[in-house]
Parts: sequence; C-alpha cells; structure tokens
Amino acid sequence: MRDYWLSKLFFDLQSPPLSDEYRADRNAVLARYPLKPAVRAAVEADDVAALARLVNPYLLRFYFLMAGMPEEEFLRRIRATASTPTGASRG
Amino acid sequence: MAELVGVYAASHGPMIVRNWKILAPAERENLTSAFSELGRRIKAARPDALIVISPDHWVNFFIDNLPAICVGVGEAHDGPPEPWFTEFPHRKMAGHPPLAEHVVRTALERDFEPSISYRLALDHGFCIPLWKAGLDPLPAIVPVIFNDLEPPLPSVRRCYSWGAMLAEAVASYPGKLRVGVLATGGLSHSIGEPDMGRIDEAFDRDCIRRFENGDAPALFDFLNERLTGAGNGASEVRNWVAAHGAARGRGFELIRYDPIPNVYVGCGFASWKLG
Repeated sequence: MRDYWLSKLFFDLQSPPLSDEYRADRNAVLARYPLKPAVRAAVEADDVAALARLVNPYLLRFYFLMAGMPEEEFLRRIRATASTPTGASRG
Repeated sequence: MAELVGVYAASHGPMIVRNWKILAPAERENLTSAFSELGRRIKAARPDALIVISPDHWVNFFIDNLPAICVGVGEAHDGPPEPWFTEFPHRKMAGHPPLAEHVVRTALERDFEPSISYRLALDHGFCIPLWKAGLDPLPAIVPVIFNDLEPPLPSVRRCYSWGAMLAEAVASYPGKLRVGVLATGGLSHSIGEPDMGRIDEAFDRDCIRRFENGDAPALFDFLNERLTGAGNGASEVRNWVAAHGAARGRGFELIRYDPIPNVYVGCGFASWKLG
C-alpha cells in the first residue's frame, strides 16, 4: 500500500516553484500535508528506508534528488534496505 | 487505408540526458550509434504519424487517477516538463486526432477500454528517443501510455494483444497514412529500489533472443517468470511486447544493445520485421 499524502507531497514537489519553497522552508510546505506523525518524522529525518516502504520507488528517487541528497548517499541508503522488506511490490 | 511502415523500440533512461557529459566516451559513442541507426530507419520509413508507447513517469497521472492505458487524442501534446530536459527543441508536438480516435474506437470494438486524454505532457520516456533519433521535423505523435510504473500492471499477454489491436487499427484506418510504432523503455534497470543501478545483462540478452525468435507464447512465459527479477524499470518491456504484437510477433532485428552503468539501464534498440 502507498501512503497517499506522502505520495502526494512527493508528486507535487515535481513543481519547480514548490520544490524551491520546500528547499527554503521545508516545514511550511509539510504543514500543508496531513502526514501521519511517524511519516512526517521519517521525512524530517531523511529516512530512506522508512519512506521506501510507503511510496512508489520512482517518486522516492525523485524526492531525494530534488531534496539535494547526493546520489552516492541515496544509493548507499537504498541499497542498505535490501535486507529488510520495503513493501515495494513489482508488477 | 493506412499502412504500418515500421515498428521500433528504444530505451529512454533519463541519465542519457542528465549524465550525457559525464558518460564514458564509449558509452556516448554506443548510444549515439544506436539512436542514429534508429533514426535512419524511422526516417527511411517516412511515417506521417508515429504511435509512441511509453510509460508516464508521474507527469500526467497520480495514484488518485491512474489509468492502465491511456491514448492521447488531442491536436497537440506538451513537451517534457522535466527541468533538466530543456534541450528538447519542441514545447508542443502535433498529435493526430483522427488516427488516435480510430485507435480508441477500434480498441473499444475489440473489448479494450483505454482512457483518453486531449492534452498530455510527453515526458522523457517519449522525448529522449524522438530527440536522440534526430526526428526533426517530428511526425504527428499518437501517444499511448502504459502503466509500467505503479503495480498492479497490465499483463504481458494483454500488452501483446494491445499491439495486435494497434496494427489492426492502422490497417483499417480510412485514409492514406504511413504509420510507425515506437515502443520506449527497458531493458533491465532498477530505480529507487534496493538494487538500483544493477543491470541484468543475462536477462537482457535472453530477452532479446526471444524477441528475435518471434515466438510470442515462449516470450510470455519467459517474461512472466523473469521480468520482476530484472528491476522495476524492466516492467517497461511491456511496451516492447506491444510492439511485438503490432508486428504480429514476426521477430525483430537488434540494432544495438549495451549495458550502460552510468545510465543505470541495459539499453536496447530494435526494429521489427514487417514483410
């Protein structure tokens, strides 16, 4: 299952004006999305493993690219989830 | 009657554009060679319209409205919205409403239920192959979006049937028109998953052999067994399967295949036998 509002946040952040605002003031944008507390905490902690269980992998990859996480760091973190179930099912 | 003048497939990884300047020289040369030959073949076929089958990478659709298959029937489509793809020369591309509407009507008559859109933005999945193949001026584009990204996905067998139906629609189109089919995406790659960056070259080469052989049931069996293990991006091979259906399973000629680590994708290019 996907987390709807987390997915919506990542989807909406494809808009350059919103992504600019997000990078400048993350809390102001997050306040407009009714994220569950645990989900918001995972966003604030850049918790790749936790978020990977909740959104489509393409949106996850886009989000961390947009948020400025270096590619090598994202790869290191997403690969570290290999030993834990991500809940991401493939077609 | 319209004529199906060519059926093609090409990979479309965004790193082909985003990483172009930092690709190894051999990677750039191999991709340039592949796209050039693809473009040469498409231009030689002189299509008036190109039916392009590609996924939507979260540009037009979201999980609040996610069609399995959508046909773009509008007079125009928007260019790619990705901010890193400003080099693409077209902000607007012409559609072909009469052909697109005929495809939709043929689909419904044959018990398919596509979604339709009068205005789509065509993301890198469509535009990287069109651009890198040097198709300028572009033929009219009839986009057909397959959901290859968010499970549950259309079955491989259904995608083949879709392709066969597209060929039937072209053959029954009441007008003089040269039509090509271009499937984009694949081969193996993984995005945002634990094996991101892994290219399954063994899968890719086996997959290519099965497309070359043209035995559709054997291809279905192979893909049903192996597709999910080749990375979430490999789901886009469904588009190639639709192209295979459009070519009536006659088998294809490989233009080029290279696993390209800096693109994260096993990059394949092919054209099908039609005669």
